[in-house]
Amino acid sequence: MAALRYLAAMAILGAALASPGMEVVPAHRYGLVQLGNRAAAAKVPPVTFDHWRHRARFTCRLCHVDVGFAMSAGLTAISASTNRSGYHCGACHNGKTLLGGKPVFASCSEGRDVDESPSCRRCHEQRDPDRARKEYEAFAEKYPKKGQARGIDWEDAESKGLVRPIDHVEGVSIRRAPLKMDKEISIESSGWMTNVLFSHRKHSVWNGCEVCHPEIYPSTKSGTKKTSMIQISSGESCGVCHTKVAFPIADCERCHVKPVR
Amino acid sequence: MRRVRGTLLAAALGAGLALAAVPAPLALAQGPAAATQDWKKEFEDICAKTQDAMALPVEELRSLVSRCDELKPRIEKLDESQRKVYSRRLQVCRDLYQFVIESREKG
Repeated sequence: MAALRYLAAMAILGAALASPGMEVVPAHRYGLVQLGNRAAAAKVPPVTFDHWRHRARFTCRLCHVDVGFAMSAGLTAISASTNRSGYHCGACHNGKTLLGGKPVFASCSEGRDVDESPSCRRCHEQRDPDRARKEYEAFAEKYPKKGQARGIDWEDAESKGLVRPIDHVEGVSIRRAPLKMDKEISIESSGWMTNVLFSHRKHSVWNGCEVCHPEIYPSTKSGTKKTSMIQISSGESCGVCHTKVAFPIADCERCHVKPVR
Repeated sequence: MRRVRGTLLAAALGAGLALAAVPAPLALAQGPAAATQDWKKEFEDICAKTQDAMALPVEELRSLVSRCDELKPRIEKLDESQRKVYSRRLQVCRDLYQFVIESREKG
Protein backbone atom coordinates (compact mmCIF):
# COMPACT_ATOMS: atom_id res chain seq x y z
CA MET A 1 0.00 0.00 0.00
CA ALA A 2 2.82 2.38 0.97
CA ALA A 3 4.63 1.54 -2.27
CA LEU A 4 1.49 2.27 -4.27
CA ARG A 5 1.09 5.62 -2.53
CA TYR A 6 4.73 6.45 -3.23
CA LEU A 7 4.33 5.55 -6.90
CA ALA A 8 1.17 7.66 -7.18
CA ALA A 9 2.95 10.62 -5.53
CA MET A 10 5.90 10.26 -7.89
CA ALA A 11 3.57 10.09 -10.90
CA ILE A 12 1.82 13.32 -9.81
CA LEU A 13 5.17 15.02 -9.17
CA GLY A 14 6.46 13.87 -12.55
CA ALA A 15 3.36 15.17 -14.33
CA ALA A 16 3.59 18.52 -12.55
CA LEU A 17 7.30 18.91 -13.25
CA ALA A 18 6.80 18.02 -16.90
CA SER A 19 4.09 20.66 -17.41
CA PRO A 20 4.97 23.98 -19.07
CA GLY A 21 4.17 25.95 -15.89
CA MET A 22 7.16 24.42 -14.09
CA GLU A 23 9.59 25.35 -16.84
CA VAL A 24 12.20 27.92 -15.82
CA VAL A 25 11.72 30.61 -18.46
CA PRO A 26 14.54 33.15 -18.92
CA ALA A 27 13.60 36.35 -17.08
CA HIS A 28 13.51 38.50 -20.22
CA ARG A 29 10.92 36.18 -21.81
CA TYR A 30 8.80 35.66 -18.70
CA GLY A 31 5.42 37.37 -19.02
CA LEU A 32 5.72 37.82 -22.77
CA VAL A 33 2.32 37.68 -24.45
CA GLN A 34 1.48 37.58 -28.14
CA LEU A 35 -1.66 39.55 -28.91
CA GLY A 36 -2.71 38.38 -32.32
CA ASN A 37 -6.29 37.15 -32.48
CA ARG A 38 -7.23 39.79 -35.04
CA ALA A 39 -3.77 40.42 -36.44
CA ALA A 40 -3.97 37.91 -39.31
CA ALA A 41 -7.33 39.25 -40.50
CA ALA A 42 -5.98 42.81 -40.31
CA LYS A 43 -2.81 41.67 -42.14
CA VAL A 44 -0.52 42.98 -39.41
CA PRO A 45 2.04 41.09 -37.31
CA PRO A 46 0.83 40.24 -33.79
CA VAL A 47 1.75 42.54 -30.91
CA THR A 48 4.50 41.33 -28.62
CA PHE A 49 3.65 42.56 -25.14
CA ASP A 50 6.16 42.44 -22.30
CA HIS A 51 4.52 42.51 -18.88
CA TRP A 52 7.75 43.68 -17.21
CA ARG A 53 7.76 47.00 -19.10
CA HIS A 54 4.34 47.84 -17.71
CA ARG A 55 4.58 46.18 -14.34
CA ALA A 56 7.22 48.58 -13.06
CA ARG A 57 4.80 51.46 -13.58
CA PHE A 58 1.25 50.21 -13.15
CA THR A 59 -0.71 47.88 -10.91
CA CYS A 60 -2.20 44.69 -12.39
CA ARG A 61 -5.61 46.02 -11.31
CA LEU A 62 -5.32 49.18 -13.37
CA CYS A 63 -5.02 47.28 -16.66
CA HIS A 64 -7.07 44.18 -15.83
CA VAL A 65 -9.99 46.02 -14.21
CA ASP A 66 -10.07 49.71 -15.14
CA VAL A 67 -8.74 49.40 -18.68
CA GLY A 68 -10.62 46.13 -19.16
CA PHE A 69 -8.00 43.60 -20.28
CA ALA A 70 -9.38 40.14 -19.55
CA MET A 71 -7.22 37.64 -17.69
CA SER A 72 -7.80 34.99 -20.37
CA ALA A 73 -6.49 35.15 -23.90
CA GLY A 74 -8.92 36.19 -26.61
CA LEU A 75 -11.66 37.60 -24.39
CA THR A 76 -10.75 41.30 -24.53
CA ALA A 77 -11.31 41.80 -28.27
CA ILE A 78 -8.69 44.53 -28.62
CA SER A 79 -8.73 46.15 -32.04
CA ALA A 80 -7.18 49.16 -33.76
CA SER A 81 -10.60 50.75 -33.51
CA THR A 82 -10.88 50.36 -29.71
CA ASN A 83 -7.33 51.67 -29.34
CA ARG A 84 -8.04 54.70 -31.52
CA SER A 85 -11.20 55.41 -29.53
CA GLY A 86 -9.15 55.70 -26.35
CA TYR A 87 -9.83 52.23 -24.94
CA HIS A 88 -7.60 49.20 -24.28
CA CYS A 89 -4.00 50.16 -25.22
CA GLY A 90 -5.34 53.55 -26.32
CA ALA A 91 -6.43 54.36 -22.76
CA CYS A 92 -2.81 55.41 -22.15
CA HIS A 93 -1.18 55.12 -25.58
CA ASN A 94 -2.95 58.14 -27.01
CA GLY A 95 -0.15 60.67 -27.50
CA LYS A 96 -1.62 62.80 -24.69
CA THR A 97 -1.32 60.90 -21.40
CA LEU A 98 1.84 62.02 -19.65
CA LEU A 99 4.19 59.58 -18.00
CA GLY A 100 7.28 61.03 -16.34
CA GLY A 101 6.43 64.34 -18.04
CA LYS A 102 6.44 62.83 -21.54
CA PRO A 103 3.41 61.92 -23.64
CA VAL A 104 2.89 58.17 -24.10
CA PHE A 105 3.12 57.28 -27.80
CA ALA A 106 -0.19 56.83 -29.58
CA SER A 107 -1.30 53.35 -30.63
CA CYS A 108 -2.86 52.46 -34.00
CA SER A 109 -2.87 55.82 -35.77
CA GLU A 110 -5.20 55.71 -38.74
CA GLY A 111 -4.04 55.47 -42.34
CA ARG A 112 -0.55 54.16 -41.63
CA ASP A 113 1.14 51.27 -43.36
CA VAL A 114 2.38 48.92 -40.66
CA ASP A 115 5.36 47.81 -42.76
CA GLU A 116 6.46 51.40 -43.33
CA SER A 117 5.57 53.05 -40.05
CA PRO A 118 8.09 52.87 -37.18
CA SER A 119 5.36 53.83 -34.70
CA CYS A 120 3.22 50.79 -35.75
CA ARG A 121 6.25 48.50 -35.66
CA ARG A 122 6.95 49.57 -32.12
CA CYS A 123 4.28 47.07 -31.08
CA HIS A 124 3.48 45.09 -34.26
CA GLU A 125 6.82 43.47 -34.84
CA GLN A 126 8.53 40.16 -34.26
CA ARG A 127 11.17 40.96 -31.66
CA ASP A 128 14.87 40.42 -32.16
CA PRO A 129 15.49 38.07 -29.18
CA ASP A 130 18.97 39.42 -28.56
CA ARG A 131 17.77 43.01 -28.47
CA ALA A 132 14.87 42.06 -26.18
CA ARG A 133 17.26 40.38 -23.75
CA LYS A 134 19.59 43.39 -23.68
CA GLU A 135 16.67 45.78 -23.11
CA TYR A 136 15.44 43.66 -20.22
CA GLU A 137 18.89 43.40 -18.66
CA ALA A 138 19.41 47.17 -18.84
CA PHE A 139 15.97 47.71 -17.32
CA ALA A 140 16.34 45.08 -14.59
CA GLU A 141 19.78 46.20 -13.46
CA LYS A 142 18.47 48.45 -10.68
CA TYR A 143 15.99 45.97 -9.22
CA PRO A 144 16.51 43.11 -6.72
CA LYS A 145 16.46 39.60 -8.20
CA LYS A 146 15.19 36.30 -6.91
CA GLY A 147 14.45 32.73 -7.95
CA GLN A 148 15.89 30.19 -10.32
CA ALA A 149 15.65 32.49 -13.34
CA ARG A 150 16.94 35.49 -11.32
CA GLY A 151 13.85 37.45 -12.28
CA ILE A 152 12.96 40.81 -10.75
CA ASP A 153 11.70 40.48 -7.18
CA TRP A 154 8.76 42.85 -7.61
CA GLU A 155 7.56 42.44 -4.06
CA ASP A 156 10.94 43.49 -2.67
CA ALA A 157 11.25 46.30 -5.24
CA GLU A 158 7.85 47.61 -4.21
CA SER A 159 8.55 47.41 -0.48
CA LYS A 160 11.84 49.30 -0.96
CA GLY A 161 10.09 52.00 -2.99
CA LEU A 162 12.01 51.16 -6.17
CA VAL A 163 8.71 50.79 -7.99
CA ARG A 164 5.60 52.81 -7.20
CA PRO A 165 2.90 51.34 -9.41
CA ILE A 166 0.24 53.80 -10.56
CA ASP A 167 -3.31 52.64 -9.82
CA HIS A 168 -5.34 55.44 -11.41
CA VAL A 169 -5.66 56.89 -14.90
CA GLU A 170 -7.73 60.04 -15.13
CA GLY A 171 -10.87 59.56 -17.19
CA VAL A 172 -10.57 55.77 -17.02
CA SER A 173 -10.35 54.82 -13.34
CA ILE A 174 -12.92 55.44 -10.65
CA ARG A 175 -11.76 57.30 -7.56
CA ARG A 176 -11.91 54.91 -4.63
CA ALA A 177 -10.22 54.21 -1.34
CA PRO A 178 -7.19 51.86 -1.42
CA LEU A 179 -7.98 48.24 -0.66
CA LYS A 180 -7.33 47.29 2.94
CA MET A 181 -7.19 43.53 3.21
CA ASP A 182 -4.54 41.89 5.34
CA LYS A 183 -6.07 38.51 6.09
CA GLU A 184 -3.52 35.72 5.79
CA ILE A 185 -4.71 32.26 4.84
CA SER A 186 -2.95 28.99 5.46
CA ILE A 187 -3.70 26.61 2.60
CA GLU A 188 -3.22 23.01 3.59
CA SER A 189 -0.86 21.00 1.46
CA SER A 190 -1.83 17.36 1.08
CA GLY A 191 1.57 16.18 -0.14
CA TRP A 192 5.06 16.32 1.33
CA MET A 193 5.32 20.08 0.86
CA THR A 194 4.50 22.40 3.74
CA ASN A 195 1.35 24.50 3.79
CA VAL A 196 1.07 27.61 1.65
CA LEU A 197 0.79 30.92 3.45
CA PHE A 198 -1.31 33.20 1.28
CA SER A 199 -1.06 36.89 2.07
CA HIS A 200 -3.95 39.11 0.97
CA ARG A 201 -1.86 42.14 1.97
CA LYS A 202 0.93 41.32 -0.49
CA HIS A 203 -1.54 40.62 -3.28
CA SER A 204 -3.68 43.70 -2.64
CA VAL A 205 -0.77 46.06 -3.41
CA TRP A 206 -1.12 45.13 -7.07
CA ASN A 207 -4.67 43.86 -7.28
CA GLY A 208 -8.26 44.62 -6.38
CA CYS A 209 -10.72 42.00 -5.12
CA GLU A 210 -12.28 41.65 -8.57
CA VAL A 211 -9.03 40.60 -10.26
CA CYS A 212 -9.20 37.25 -8.44
CA HIS A 213 -12.82 36.88 -7.25
CA PRO A 214 -14.81 35.14 -8.51
CA GLU A 215 -13.15 34.46 -11.88
CA ILE A 216 -9.99 32.80 -10.54
CA TYR A 217 -11.18 31.91 -7.03
CA PRO A 218 -14.92 31.22 -7.14
CA SER A 219 -15.11 30.33 -3.45
CA THR A 220 -13.51 31.61 -0.28
CA LYS A 221 -14.82 28.88 1.97
CA SER A 222 -11.92 26.87 3.32
CA GLY A 223 -11.59 23.43 1.76
CA THR A 224 -14.32 24.01 -0.86
CA LYS A 225 -12.00 23.51 -3.76
CA LYS A 226 -8.93 21.32 -3.85
CA THR A 227 -6.33 22.51 -6.29
CA SER A 228 -3.42 20.34 -7.34
CA MET A 229 0.00 21.42 -8.57
CA ILE A 230 -0.90 19.87 -11.93
CA GLN A 231 -3.83 22.27 -12.23
CA ILE A 232 -1.74 25.22 -11.05
CA SER A 233 1.10 24.42 -13.43
CA SER A 234 -1.47 24.18 -16.24
CA GLY A 235 -2.46 27.78 -15.59
CA GLU A 236 -5.42 27.38 -13.23
CA SER A 237 -5.88 28.98 -9.81
CA CYS A 238 -2.56 30.55 -8.63
CA GLY A 239 -1.15 29.51 -12.01
CA VAL A 240 -3.23 32.16 -13.83
CA CYS A 241 -0.59 34.71 -12.77
CA HIS A 242 2.18 32.57 -11.30
CA THR A 243 2.98 30.78 -14.55
CA LYS A 244 2.98 33.90 -16.69
CA VAL A 245 3.69 37.16 -14.86
CA ALA A 246 4.07 36.85 -11.09
CA PHE A 247 7.05 34.84 -9.82
CA PRO A 248 7.10 31.32 -11.28
CA ILE A 249 5.83 28.30 -9.36
CA ALA A 250 9.16 26.55 -9.88
CA ASP A 251 10.33 28.75 -6.95
CA CYS A 252 8.46 26.43 -4.56
CA GLU A 253 9.65 28.00 -1.28
CA ARG A 254 8.11 31.36 -2.09
CA CYS A 255 4.64 29.90 -1.41
CA HIS A 256 5.46 26.80 0.64
CA VAL A 257 7.29 29.00 3.09
CA LYS A 258 8.54 26.36 5.52
CA PRO A 259 11.09 23.63 4.69
CA VAL A 260 9.79 20.36 3.21
CA ARG A 261 8.37 18.04 5.88
CA MET B 1 -32.83 97.51 -26.07
CA ARG B 2 -31.35 97.16 -22.59
CA ARG B 3 -34.74 96.04 -21.31
CA VAL B 4 -34.97 93.34 -24.00
CA ARG B 5 -31.44 92.13 -23.16
CA GLY B 6 -32.35 92.01 -19.47
CA THR B 7 -35.49 90.02 -20.18
CA LEU B 8 -33.53 87.56 -22.36
CA LEU B 9 -30.86 87.14 -19.66
CA ALA B 10 -33.48 86.48 -17.01
CA ALA B 11 -35.22 83.95 -19.27
CA ALA B 12 -31.92 82.14 -19.94
CA LEU B 13 -31.09 82.03 -16.24
CA GLY B 14 -34.56 80.73 -15.45
CA ALA B 15 -34.26 77.98 -18.05
CA GLY B 16 -30.84 76.99 -16.71
CA LEU B 17 -32.16 76.74 -13.16
CA ALA B 18 -35.17 74.72 -14.31
CA LEU B 19 -32.93 72.24 -16.15
CA ALA B 20 -30.62 71.89 -13.15
CA ALA B 21 -33.60 70.94 -11.04
CA VAL B 22 -34.65 68.07 -13.36
CA PRO B 23 -34.23 64.73 -11.49
CA ALA B 24 -31.64 62.22 -12.75
CA PRO B 25 -34.00 59.79 -14.60
CA LEU B 26 -35.25 62.67 -16.71
CA ALA B 27 -31.72 63.70 -17.66
CA LEU B 28 -31.95 61.51 -20.78
CA ALA B 29 -34.40 64.00 -22.19
CA GLN B 30 -31.72 66.67 -22.08
CA GLY B 31 -29.83 65.28 -25.08
CA PRO B 32 -27.04 62.83 -25.96
CA ALA B 33 -24.31 64.53 -23.88
CA ALA B 34 -26.36 64.36 -20.69
CA ALA B 35 -27.35 60.76 -21.43
CA THR B 36 -23.66 59.82 -21.85
CA GLN B 37 -22.78 61.34 -18.52
CA ASP B 38 -25.78 59.67 -16.96
CA TRP B 39 -24.79 56.04 -17.67
CA LYS B 40 -21.15 56.70 -16.82
CA LYS B 41 -22.02 58.39 -13.56
CA GLU B 42 -24.23 55.44 -12.62
CA PHE B 43 -21.47 52.99 -13.61
CA GLU B 44 -18.88 54.83 -11.52
CA ASP B 45 -21.24 55.12 -8.60
CA ILE B 46 -21.97 51.37 -8.62
CA CYS B 47 -18.43 50.14 -9.20
CA ALA B 48 -16.67 52.57 -6.85
CA LYS B 49 -17.52 50.25 -3.97
CA THR B 50 -15.70 47.10 -5.06
CA GLN B 51 -12.80 47.72 -2.65
CA ASP B 52 -15.27 47.83 0.25
CA ALA B 53 -17.44 44.93 -0.91
CA MET B 54 -16.51 42.68 2.02
CA ALA B 55 -17.68 45.32 4.49
CA LEU B 56 -21.00 46.16 2.82
CA PRO B 57 -24.31 44.81 4.17
CA VAL B 58 -25.99 42.12 2.05
CA GLU B 59 -28.95 44.40 1.30
CA GLU B 60 -26.65 47.03 -0.18
CA LEU B 61 -24.83 44.37 -2.20
CA ARG B 62 -28.16 43.13 -3.59
CA SER B 63 -29.09 46.66 -4.51
CA LEU B 64 -25.75 47.10 -6.32
CA VAL B 65 -26.33 43.86 -8.26
CA SER B 66 -29.80 45.09 -9.29
CA ARG B 67 -28.36 48.42 -10.42
CA CYS B 68 -25.76 46.52 -12.49
CA ASP B 69 -28.58 44.55 -14.15
CA GLU B 70 -30.52 47.74 -14.86
CA LEU B 71 -27.49 49.48 -16.33
CA LYS B 72 -26.45 46.57 -18.57
CA PRO B 73 -28.98 47.16 -21.39
CA ARG B 74 -27.98 50.82 -21.56
CA ILE B 75 -24.32 49.88 -21.91
CA GLU B 76 -25.19 47.39 -24.63
CA LYS B 77 -26.57 50.26 -26.71
CA LEU B 78 -23.27 52.18 -26.68
CA ASP B 79 -20.89 52.22 -29.64
CA GLU B 80 -18.77 49.09 -30.15
CA SER B 81 -15.61 50.24 -28.34
CA GLN B 82 -17.43 51.56 -25.29
CA ARG B 83 -19.69 48.51 -25.22
CA LYS B 84 -16.75 46.08 -25.24
CA VAL B 85 -14.93 47.84 -22.41
CA TYR B 86 -17.80 48.83 -20.15
CA SER B 87 -19.77 45.58 -20.54
CA ARG B 88 -16.75 43.72 -19.26
CA ARG B 89 -16.07 46.23 -16.48
CA LEU B 90 -19.67 46.12 -15.33
CA GLN B 91 -19.74 42.32 -15.41
CA VAL B 92 -16.55 42.05 -13.32
CA CYS B 93 -18.03 44.46 -10.80
CA ARG B 94 -21.40 42.65 -10.66
CA ASP B 95 -19.71 39.26 -10.31
CA LEU B 96 -17.74 40.47 -7.32
CA TYR B 97 -20.83 41.76 -5.50
CA GLN B 98 -22.69 38.53 -6.26
CA PHE B 99 -19.68 36.53 -5.07
CA VAL B 100 -19.62 38.37 -1.73
CA ILE B 101 -23.36 37.79 -1.26
CA GLU B 102 -22.95 34.05 -1.92
CA SER B 103 -19.89 33.83 0.34
CA ARG B 104 -21.90 35.34 3.18
CA GLU B 105 -24.84 33.04 2.58
CA LYS B 106 -22.60 29.98 2.60
CA GLY B 107 -21.13 31.23 5.86
